Amino acid sequence: MLVSFSYRPRHSFIERFDPRARWIMSLALLFSIVLFWDIRILSFFFVLSILQVFLARLTWQETRRAWLFILVLSTMMILVNTIITGGGTIGGVISGGKPLLQFQLKIPVTGWIIHYVLTRERVWFALAQFLRIISIGSLFLVIPFTMDPRKYGVTFRGIGLPDKLAFTMDLAFRFIPTLARDFQITLDAQRARGYEVEKIEGNLFTRIRRMAPLFVPVTMNAILAGEDITNAMDLRCFGLKKRTWVESLKYQEIDYLMIGISILILVGSLLLRFVFHTGDFWFPM
Amino acid sequence: MKKSLWTFGTREVVFAAIGAALYGVLSYATNLLQIPGAGNVSLRPAVAIPMFFGVAFGPIVGFLSGAIGNILSDLLSGYGFWPWWDLGNGLMALVPGLIYLSIKDFRSWGDLLKAEGMVVLGVALGMGVASLSEIWVSGIDLATAISLNFVPAFITNVINGLILVPILMVAYSAIVARSGR
Repeated sequence: MLVSFSYRPRHSFIERFDPRARWIMSLALLFSIVLFWDIRILSFFFVLSILQVFLARLTWQETRRAWLFILVLSTMMILVNTIITGGGTIGGVISGGKPLLQFQLKIPVTGWIIHYVLTRERVWFALAQFLRIISIGSLFLVIPFTMDPRKYGVTFRGIGLPDKLAFTMDLAFRFIPTLARDFQITLDAQRARGYEVEKIEGNLFTRIRRMAPLFVPVTMNAILAGEDITNAMDLRCFGLKKRTWVESLKYQEIDYLMIGISILILVGSLLLRFVFHTGDFWFPM
Repeated sequence: MKKSLWTFGTREVVFAAIGAALYGVLSYATNLLQIPGAGNVSLRPAVAIPMFFGVAFGPIVGFLSGAIGNILSDLLSGYGFWPWWDLGNGLMALVPGLIYLSIKDFRSWGDLLKAEGMVVLGVALGMGVASLSEIWVSGIDLATAISLNFVPAFITNVINGLILVPILMVAYSAIVARSGR
Protein backbone atom coordinates (compact mmCIF):
# COMPACT_ATOMS: atom_id res chain seq x y z
CA MET A 1 0.00 0.00 0.00
CA LEU A 2 1.40 3.32 -1.01
CA VAL A 3 0.77 5.97 1.60
CA SER A 4 1.58 9.43 0.44
CA PHE A 5 0.83 12.85 1.81
CA SER A 6 -1.05 15.37 -0.27
CA TYR A 7 1.86 17.79 0.00
CA ARG A 8 4.16 18.55 -2.91
CA PRO A 9 6.16 21.74 -3.45
CA ARG A 10 4.07 24.06 -5.62
CA HIS A 11 6.23 27.19 -5.24
CA SER A 12 3.09 29.09 -4.51
CA PHE A 13 2.82 32.44 -2.75
CA ILE A 14 1.33 30.78 0.35
CA GLU A 15 4.33 28.45 0.69
CA ARG A 16 6.64 31.44 1.08
CA PHE A 17 5.30 31.99 4.56
CA ASP A 18 6.67 30.33 7.67
CA PRO A 19 4.33 27.46 8.72
CA ARG A 20 4.07 28.96 12.22
CA ALA A 21 2.81 32.24 10.78
CA ARG A 22 0.29 30.32 8.71
CA TRP A 23 -1.02 28.42 11.71
CA ILE A 24 -1.33 31.63 13.69
CA MET A 25 -3.24 33.20 10.79
CA SER A 26 -5.56 30.19 10.38
CA LEU A 27 -6.38 30.07 14.10
CA ALA A 28 -6.88 33.86 14.32
CA LEU A 29 -9.26 33.74 11.37
CA LEU A 30 -11.10 30.71 12.80
CA PHE A 31 -11.73 32.50 16.10
CA SER A 32 -12.78 35.63 14.22
CA ILE A 33 -15.21 33.84 11.89
CA VAL A 34 -17.08 32.06 14.68
CA LEU A 35 -17.87 35.42 16.30
CA PHE A 36 -20.16 36.54 13.48
CA TRP A 37 -23.50 35.81 11.82
CA ASP A 38 -23.64 38.99 9.78
CA ILE A 39 -23.46 37.89 6.17
CA ARG A 40 -21.57 41.08 5.16
CA ILE A 41 -18.77 40.38 7.63
CA LEU A 42 -18.78 36.66 6.81
CA SER A 43 -18.39 37.53 3.12
CA PHE A 44 -15.11 39.30 3.98
CA PHE A 45 -13.75 36.15 5.65
CA PHE A 46 -15.10 34.00 2.83
CA VAL A 47 -13.14 36.08 0.30
CA LEU A 48 -9.97 35.81 2.43
CA SER A 49 -10.27 32.02 2.71
CA ILE A 50 -10.96 31.50 -0.98
CA LEU A 51 -8.10 33.86 -1.85
CA GLN A 52 -5.80 31.63 0.16
CA VAL A 53 -6.94 28.60 -1.87
CA PHE A 54 -6.14 30.41 -5.12
CA LEU A 55 -2.80 31.66 -3.83
CA ALA A 56 -1.92 28.08 -2.90
CA ARG A 57 -2.20 27.03 -6.58
CA LEU A 58 -4.41 24.07 -5.76
CA THR A 59 -6.18 22.31 -8.60
CA TRP A 60 -9.73 21.03 -8.50
CA GLN A 61 -8.51 17.53 -9.27
CA GLU A 62 -6.35 17.24 -6.17
CA THR A 63 -8.79 18.93 -3.80
CA ARG A 64 -12.01 17.49 -5.22
CA ARG A 65 -12.39 14.90 -2.47
CA ALA A 66 -11.95 17.46 0.29
CA TRP A 67 -14.33 19.93 -1.35
CA LEU A 68 -16.98 17.27 -1.81
CA PHE A 69 -16.58 16.30 1.84
CA ILE A 70 -17.04 19.91 2.99
CA LEU A 71 -19.91 20.60 0.59
CA VAL A 72 -21.84 17.43 1.40
CA LEU A 73 -21.36 17.93 5.13
CA SER A 74 -22.36 21.58 5.10
CA THR A 75 -25.33 21.00 2.79
CA MET A 76 -26.64 18.22 5.03
CA MET A 77 -26.25 20.30 8.17
CA ILE A 78 -27.88 23.34 6.61
CA LEU A 79 -30.74 21.33 5.09
CA VAL A 80 -31.55 19.59 8.35
CA ASN A 81 -30.91 22.57 10.58
CA THR A 82 -32.17 25.62 8.79
CA ILE A 83 -34.71 24.22 6.42
CA ILE A 84 -36.17 21.34 8.45
CA THR A 85 -35.67 21.92 12.18
CA GLY A 86 -36.02 25.67 11.87
CA GLY A 87 -32.59 27.05 12.65
CA GLY A 88 -33.19 28.00 16.28
CA THR A 89 -29.49 28.24 16.96
CA ILE A 90 -27.03 30.40 18.81
CA GLY A 91 -27.06 32.50 15.65
CA GLY A 92 -30.45 33.70 16.80
CA VAL A 93 -32.68 33.50 13.73
CA ILE A 94 -35.69 35.72 14.24
CA SER A 95 -38.72 33.54 14.85
CA GLY A 96 -41.60 34.11 12.51
CA GLY A 97 -40.74 36.25 9.51
CA LYS A 98 -41.88 36.61 5.94
CA PRO A 99 -42.95 33.26 4.43
CA LEU A 100 -41.45 32.31 1.10
CA LEU A 101 -42.93 28.87 0.87
CA GLN A 102 -45.58 27.12 2.92
CA PHE A 103 -47.57 23.95 2.59
CA GLN A 104 -49.40 21.34 4.59
CA LEU A 105 -48.49 17.71 4.43
CA LYS A 106 -50.77 14.96 5.70
CA ILE A 107 -48.93 11.83 6.69
CA PRO A 108 -50.85 8.73 5.63
CA VAL A 109 -51.94 6.15 8.25
CA THR A 110 -51.10 8.40 11.24
CA GLY A 111 -53.17 11.31 9.97
CA TRP A 112 -50.63 13.79 11.32
CA ILE A 113 -50.57 17.15 9.61
CA ILE A 114 -47.27 18.96 9.15
CA HIS A 115 -47.55 22.67 8.50
CA TYR A 116 -44.27 23.74 6.90
CA VAL A 117 -43.22 27.36 6.51
CA LEU A 118 -39.93 28.45 4.95
CA THR A 119 -39.24 32.09 5.73
CA ARG A 120 -36.93 34.61 4.12
CA GLU A 121 -35.01 34.82 7.38
CA ARG A 122 -34.32 31.09 7.36
CA VAL A 123 -32.97 31.22 3.83
CA TRP A 124 -30.63 34.11 4.70
CA PHE A 125 -29.51 32.31 7.81
CA ALA A 126 -28.78 29.21 5.72
CA LEU A 127 -26.63 31.35 3.44
CA ALA A 128 -24.75 32.84 6.41
CA GLN A 129 -24.21 29.34 7.76
CA PHE A 130 -22.95 28.15 4.39
CA LEU A 131 -20.47 31.04 4.13
CA ARG A 132 -19.26 30.37 7.65
CA ILE A 133 -18.69 26.62 7.15
CA ILE A 134 -17.06 27.04 3.72
CA SER A 135 -14.79 29.80 5.06
CA ILE A 136 -13.60 27.63 7.95
CA GLY A 137 -13.34 24.51 5.78
CA SER A 138 -11.29 26.17 3.04
CA LEU A 139 -9.09 27.89 5.61
CA PHE A 140 -7.83 24.52 6.85
CA LEU A 141 -8.21 22.59 3.59
CA VAL A 142 -5.12 24.31 2.20
CA ILE A 143 -2.80 23.12 4.99
CA PRO A 144 -2.28 19.43 4.07
CA PHE A 145 -1.57 20.34 0.46
CA THR A 146 0.87 23.18 1.10
CA MET A 147 2.65 22.41 4.36
CA ASP A 148 5.63 20.06 4.39
CA PRO A 149 4.89 17.12 6.77
CA ARG A 150 8.56 17.12 7.84
CA LYS A 151 8.02 20.51 9.41
CA TYR A 152 5.00 19.78 11.60
CA GLY A 153 7.06 18.86 14.66
CA VAL A 154 9.31 21.92 14.57
CA THR A 155 6.33 24.11 13.65
CA PHE A 156 4.30 23.09 16.70
CA ARG A 157 7.39 23.40 18.87
CA GLY A 158 7.81 26.92 17.47
CA ILE A 159 4.21 27.78 18.28
CA GLY A 160 4.86 26.90 21.91
CA LEU A 161 4.04 23.21 22.34
CA PRO A 162 6.41 21.33 24.72
CA ASP A 163 9.32 19.46 23.14
CA LYS A 164 7.95 16.01 23.91
CA LEU A 165 4.55 16.78 22.43
CA ALA A 166 6.07 18.23 19.25
CA PHE A 167 8.41 15.24 18.99
CA THR A 168 5.45 12.84 19.36
CA MET A 169 3.93 14.45 16.30
CA ASP A 170 7.21 14.32 14.41
CA LEU A 171 7.72 10.67 15.32
CA ALA A 172 4.17 9.77 14.28
CA PHE A 173 4.85 11.14 10.79
CA ARG A 174 8.06 9.11 10.58
CA PHE A 175 6.29 5.86 11.55
CA ILE A 176 3.69 6.13 8.79
CA PRO A 177 5.66 4.60 5.88
CA THR A 178 6.92 1.72 8.06
CA LEU A 179 3.46 0.91 9.40
CA ALA A 180 1.91 1.17 5.94
CA ARG A 181 4.49 -1.34 4.71
CA ASP A 182 3.74 -3.66 7.66
CA PHE A 183 0.03 -3.40 6.91
CA GLN A 184 0.59 -4.36 3.28
CA ILE A 185 2.78 -7.34 4.26
CA THR A 186 0.13 -8.52 6.74
CA LEU A 187 -2.64 -8.07 4.19
CA ASP A 188 -0.71 -10.08 1.59
CA ALA A 189 0.12 -12.79 4.12
CA GLN A 190 -3.50 -13.10 5.20
CA ARG A 191 -4.66 -13.17 1.58
CA ALA A 192 -2.22 -16.03 0.94
CA ARG A 193 -4.05 -17.87 3.73
CA GLY A 194 -7.41 -17.31 2.04
CA TYR A 195 -8.54 -14.16 3.85
CA GLU A 196 -10.64 -12.05 1.51
CA VAL A 197 -10.95 -8.53 2.81
CA GLU A 198 -13.04 -7.35 -0.13
CA LYS A 199 -15.59 -10.09 0.43
CA ILE A 200 -16.21 -9.74 4.13
CA GLU A 201 -19.83 -10.68 4.59
CA GLY A 202 -22.27 -10.86 7.46
CA ASN A 203 -23.77 -8.25 9.72
CA LEU A 204 -21.99 -5.14 10.95
CA PHE A 205 -20.58 -6.91 14.02
CA THR A 206 -19.18 -9.78 11.97
CA ARG A 207 -17.59 -7.39 9.50
CA ILE A 208 -15.80 -5.46 12.22
CA ARG A 209 -14.71 -8.61 14.05
CA ARG A 210 -13.25 -9.94 10.84
CA MET A 211 -10.89 -6.96 10.65
CA ALA A 212 -9.02 -8.44 13.61
CA PRO A 213 -6.68 -10.66 11.48
CA LEU A 214 -5.37 -7.45 9.93
CA PHE A 215 -5.36 -5.15 12.94
CA VAL A 216 -3.95 -7.47 15.61
CA PRO A 217 -0.65 -8.49 13.91
CA VAL A 218 0.10 -4.94 12.72
CA THR A 219 -0.62 -3.42 16.14
CA MET A 220 1.28 -6.03 18.15
CA ASN A 221 4.32 -5.84 15.84
CA ALA A 222 4.31 -2.07 16.21
CA ILE A 223 4.15 -2.36 20.01
CA LEU A 224 7.07 -4.80 20.07
CA ALA A 225 9.09 -2.42 17.88
CA GLY A 226 8.06 0.43 20.17
CA GLU A 227 9.72 -1.25 23.15
CA ASP A 228 13.03 -1.33 21.24
CA ILE A 229 12.66 2.28 20.14
CA THR A 230 11.93 3.36 23.74
CA ASN A 231 15.08 1.60 24.95
CA ALA A 232 17.18 3.15 22.18
CA MET A 233 15.86 6.64 22.99
CA ASP A 234 16.38 6.16 26.72
CA LEU A 235 19.97 5.06 26.07
CA ARG A 236 20.48 8.33 24.17
CA CYS A 237 19.07 10.30 27.15
CA PHE A 238 15.97 11.50 25.31
CA GLY A 239 14.17 14.34 27.10
CA LEU A 240 16.98 15.32 29.47
CA LYS A 241 17.90 18.49 27.59
CA LYS A 242 16.16 20.91 25.26
CA ARG A 243 15.80 19.31 21.88
CA THR A 244 17.31 20.56 18.63
CA TRP A 245 15.61 19.95 15.29
CA VAL A 246 17.04 19.00 11.91
CA GLU A 247 14.64 21.35 10.15
CA SER A 248 14.92 24.94 11.30
CA LEU A 249 12.46 27.77 10.80
CA LYS A 250 13.19 31.46 10.65
CA TYR A 251 10.65 34.26 10.52
CA GLN A 252 11.01 36.70 7.62
CA GLU A 253 9.51 40.19 7.34
CA ILE A 254 6.61 38.81 5.33
CA ASP A 255 5.77 36.43 8.22
CA TYR A 256 5.72 39.23 10.78
CA LEU A 257 3.40 41.09 8.44
CA MET A 258 1.05 38.11 8.21
CA ILE A 259 1.05 37.60 11.98
CA GLY A 260 0.44 41.33 12.52
CA ILE A 261 -2.50 41.41 10.11
CA SER A 262 -3.96 38.23 11.65
CA ILE A 263 -3.77 39.68 15.16
CA LEU A 264 -5.27 42.93 13.90
CA ILE A 265 -8.19 41.02 12.35
CA LEU A 266 -8.77 39.04 15.54
CA VAL A 267 -8.62 42.11 17.79
CA GLY A 268 -10.84 44.04 15.36
CA SER A 269 -13.36 41.20 15.36
CA LEU A 270 -13.40 41.03 19.16
CA LEU A 271 -13.91 44.79 19.36
CA LEU A 272 -16.69 44.70 16.77
CA ARG A 273 -18.44 41.89 18.57
CA PHE A 274 -18.05 42.74 22.23
CA VAL A 275 -17.49 46.51 22.31
CA PHE A 276 -19.59 47.69 19.38
CA HIS A 277 -22.03 44.75 19.58
CA THR A 278 -21.99 44.28 15.80
CA GLY A 279 -22.10 41.05 13.85
CA ASP A 280 -25.41 39.45 14.88
CA PHE A 281 -27.55 37.78 12.26
CA TRP A 282 -28.40 40.28 9.55
CA PHE A 283 -30.37 40.10 6.32
CA PRO A 284 -31.49 42.71 3.78
CA MET A 285 -35.00 43.91 4.60
CA MET B 1 9.08 1.05 38.83
CA LYS B 2 5.82 2.54 40.12
CA LYS B 3 3.41 3.48 37.35
CA SER B 4 1.74 6.86 37.30
CA LEU B 5 -1.41 7.78 35.39
CA TRP B 6 -0.19 11.10 33.98
CA THR B 7 3.49 10.31 33.27
CA PHE B 8 4.75 11.58 29.93
CA GLY B 9 8.20 10.09 29.43
CA THR B 10 10.04 8.44 26.55
CA ARG B 11 7.79 5.37 26.59
CA GLU B 12 4.67 7.52 26.36
CA VAL B 13 6.14 9.64 23.55
CA VAL B 14 6.96 6.52 21.51
CA PHE B 15 3.65 4.74 22.06
CA ALA B 16 1.59 7.88 21.48
CA ALA B 17 3.41 8.30 18.15
CA ILE B 18 2.89 4.62 17.25
CA GLY B 19 -0.78 4.77 18.25
CA ALA B 20 -1.32 7.93 16.18
CA ALA B 21 0.49 6.53 13.14
CA LEU B 22 -1.46 3.25 13.38
CA TYR B 23 -4.76 5.09 13.68
CA GLY B 24 -3.88 7.24 10.67
CA VAL B 25 -2.60 4.40 8.48
CA LEU B 26 -5.36 1.91 9.35
CA SER B 27 -8.10 4.52 8.83
CA TYR B 28 -6.61 5.37 5.46
CA ALA B 29 -6.15 1.69 4.55
CA THR B 30 -9.70 0.66 5.46
CA ASN B 31 -11.00 3.64 3.49
CA LEU B 32 -8.95 2.49 0.55
CA LEU B 33 -10.11 -1.12 0.81
CA GLN B 34 -13.74 0.09 0.72
CA ILE B 35 -14.91 -2.32 3.39
CA PRO B 36 -18.67 -2.46 3.05
CA GLY B 37 -20.69 -0.98 5.89
CA ALA B 38 -24.38 -1.34 6.67
CA GLY B 39 -26.58 1.19 4.90
CA ASN B 40 -25.04 4.64 5.16
CA VAL B 41 -22.91 3.71 8.17
CA SER B 42 -19.27 3.72 7.07
CA LEU B 43 -16.84 1.39 8.78
CA ARG B 44 -13.82 2.99 10.44
CA PRO B 45 -12.62 0.17 12.68
CA ALA B 46 -9.31 1.91 13.36
CA VAL B 47 -10.97 4.10 16.04
CA ALA B 48 -10.43 1.15 18.36
CA ILE B 49 -6.64 1.65 18.16
CA PRO B 50 -6.36 4.87 20.24
CA MET B 51 -8.90 3.49 22.73
CA PHE B 52 -6.79 0.38 23.16
CA PHE B 53 -3.61 2.46 23.46
CA GLY B 54 -5.34 4.43 26.20
CA VAL B 55 -6.14 1.25 28.13
CA ALA B 56 -2.67 -0.24 27.58
CA PHE B 57 -0.45 2.84 28.03
CA GLY B 58 -2.45 5.47 29.87
CA PRO B 59 -4.69 8.47 29.21
CA ILE B 60 -2.02 10.77 27.74
CA VAL B 61 -0.99 8.15 25.19
CA GLY B 62 -4.67 7.55 24.41
CA PHE B 63 -5.40 11.24 23.98
CA LEU B 64 -2.41 11.90 21.73
CA SER B 65 -3.01 8.74 19.67
CA GLY B 66 -6.60 9.81 19.06
CA ALA B 67 -5.96 13.49 18.39
CA ILE B 68 -2.77 13.21 16.32
CA GLY B 69 -4.03 10.04 14.63
CA ASN B 70 -7.15 11.84 13.46
CA ILE B 71 -5.00 14.69 12.12
CA LEU B 72 -2.84 12.16 10.25
CA SER B 73 -5.84 10.33 8.88
CA ASP B 74 -7.31 13.60 7.56
CA LEU B 75 -3.92 14.63 6.19
CA LEU B 76 -3.49 11.35 4.31
CA SER B 77 -6.99 11.60 2.89
CA GLY B 78 -6.57 15.32 2.11
CA TYR B 79 -9.64 16.38 4.14
CA GLY B 80 -8.04 19.38 5.85
CA PHE B 81 -8.01 20.07 9.57
CA TRP B 82 -11.01 19.89 11.86
CA PRO B 83 -9.48 20.73 15.27
CA TRP B 84 -12.63 20.14 17.32
CA TRP B 85 -13.01 16.63 15.88
CA ASP B 86 -9.31 16.00 16.63
CA LEU B 87 -10.00 17.04 20.23
CA GLY B 88 -13.06 14.77 20.32
CA ASN B 89 -11.04 11.81 19.06
CA GLY B 90 -8.42 12.51 21.71
CA LEU B 91 -10.99 12.59 24.51
CA MET B 92 -12.60 9.43 23.18
CA ALA B 93 -9.32 7.59 23.85
CA LEU B 94 -8.35 9.49 27.01
CA VAL B 95 -11.33 8.20 29.00
CA PRO B 96 -10.55 4.47 28.55
CA GLY B 97 -6.99 5.37 29.60
CA LEU B 98 -8.24 6.36 33.04
CA ILE B 99 -8.42 2.67 34.02
CA TYR B 100 -4.82 2.06 32.92
CA LEU B 101 -3.52 1.64 36.48
CA SER B 102 -6.33 -0.66 37.55
CA ILE B 103 -5.75 -3.20 34.75
CA LYS B 104 -4.13 -6.27 36.28
CA ASP B 105 -4.75 -8.89 33.63
CA PHE B 106 -5.60 -7.98 30.04
CA ARG B 107 -7.38 -11.31 29.61
CA SER B 108 -9.62 -11.27 32.68
CA TRP B 109 -13.35 -10.76 32.23
CA GLY B 110 -13.39 -8.07 34.89
CA ASP B 111 -10.76 -5.93 33.20
CA LEU B 112 -12.28 -6.51 29.76
CA LEU B 113 -15.70 -5.38 31.02
CA LYS B 114 -14.17 -2.34 32.71
CA ALA B 115 -12.52 -1.38 29.45
CA GLU B 116 -15.79 -1.86 27.56
CA GLY B 117 -17.59 0.44 29.96
CA MET B 118 -14.91 3.10 29.56
CA VAL B 119 -15.05 2.76 25.78
CA VAL B 120 -18.77 3.65 25.85
CA LEU B 121 -18.12 6.59 28.20
CA GLY B 122 -15.15 7.77 26.14
CA VAL B 123 -17.03 7.69 22.85
CA ALA B 124 -19.98 9.50 24.45
CA LEU B 125 -17.72 12.25 25.83
CA GLY B 126 -15.43 12.58 22.81
CA MET B 127 -18.13 12.56 20.15
CA GLY B 128 -20.33 14.69 22.42
CA VAL B 129 -17.67 17.42 22.67
CA ALA B 130 -16.95 17.29 18.92
CA SER B 131 -20.64 17.32 17.95
CA LEU B 132 -21.53 20.11 20.38
CA SER B 133 -18.59 22.13 19.02
CA GLU B 134 -20.44 22.12 15.70
CA ILE B 135 -23.13 24.24 17.39
CA TRP B 136 -20.47 26.87 18.09
CA VAL B 137 -18.64 26.52 14.78
CA SER B 138 -21.38 25.80 12.25
CA GLY B 139 -24.26 27.38 14.15
CA ILE B 140 -26.49 24.33 13.98
CA ASP B 141 -29.06 23.66 16.68
CA LEU B 142 -28.85 20.93 19.31
CA ALA B 143 -31.31 18.62 17.49
CA THR B 144 -29.21 18.75 14.31
CA ALA B 145 -25.94 18.29 16.19
CA ILE B 146 -27.33 15.21 17.91
CA SER B 147 -29.11 13.64 14.94
CA LEU B 148 -26.55 14.41 12.25
CA ASN B 149 -23.23 14.42 14.10
CA PHE B 150 -23.44 12.71 17.46
CA VAL B 151 -25.67 9.68 16.85
CA PRO B 152 -23.93 8.31 13.71
CA ALA B 153 -20.46 8.95 15.16
CA PHE B 154 -21.38 7.49 18.54
CA ILE B 155 -22.99 4.32 17.18
CA THR B 156 -20.23 3.41 14.72
CA ASN B 157 -17.37 4.25 17.09
CA VAL B 158 -18.90 2.45 20.04
CA ILE B 159 -19.53 -0.72 18.00
CA ASN B 160 -15.98 -0.65 16.63
CA GLY B 161 -14.53 -0.06 20.09
CA LEU B 162 -16.64 -2.67 21.86
CA ILE B 163 -15.65 -5.37 19.38
CA LEU B 164 -12.00 -4.61 18.69
CA VAL B 165 -10.66 -3.25 22.02
CA PRO B 166 -11.12 -6.58 23.89
CA ILE B 167 -9.60 -8.51 20.97
CA LEU B 168 -6.54 -6.22 21.05
CA MET B 169 -6.35 -6.47 24.86
CA VAL B 170 -6.28 -10.27 24.78
CA ALA B 171 -3.60 -10.22 22.07
CA TYR B 172 -1.58 -7.68 24.07
CA SER B 173 -1.68 -9.86 27.19
CA ALA B 174 0.75 -12.23 25.43
CA ILE B 175 3.22 -9.37 24.95
CA VAL B 176 2.81 -8.29 28.57
CA ALA B 177 3.45 -11.83 29.74
CA ARG B 178 6.53 -12.06 27.54
CA SER B 179 8.06 -8.71 28.37
CA GLY B 180 7.01 -8.65 32.02
CA ARG B 181 5.91 -4.96 31.81
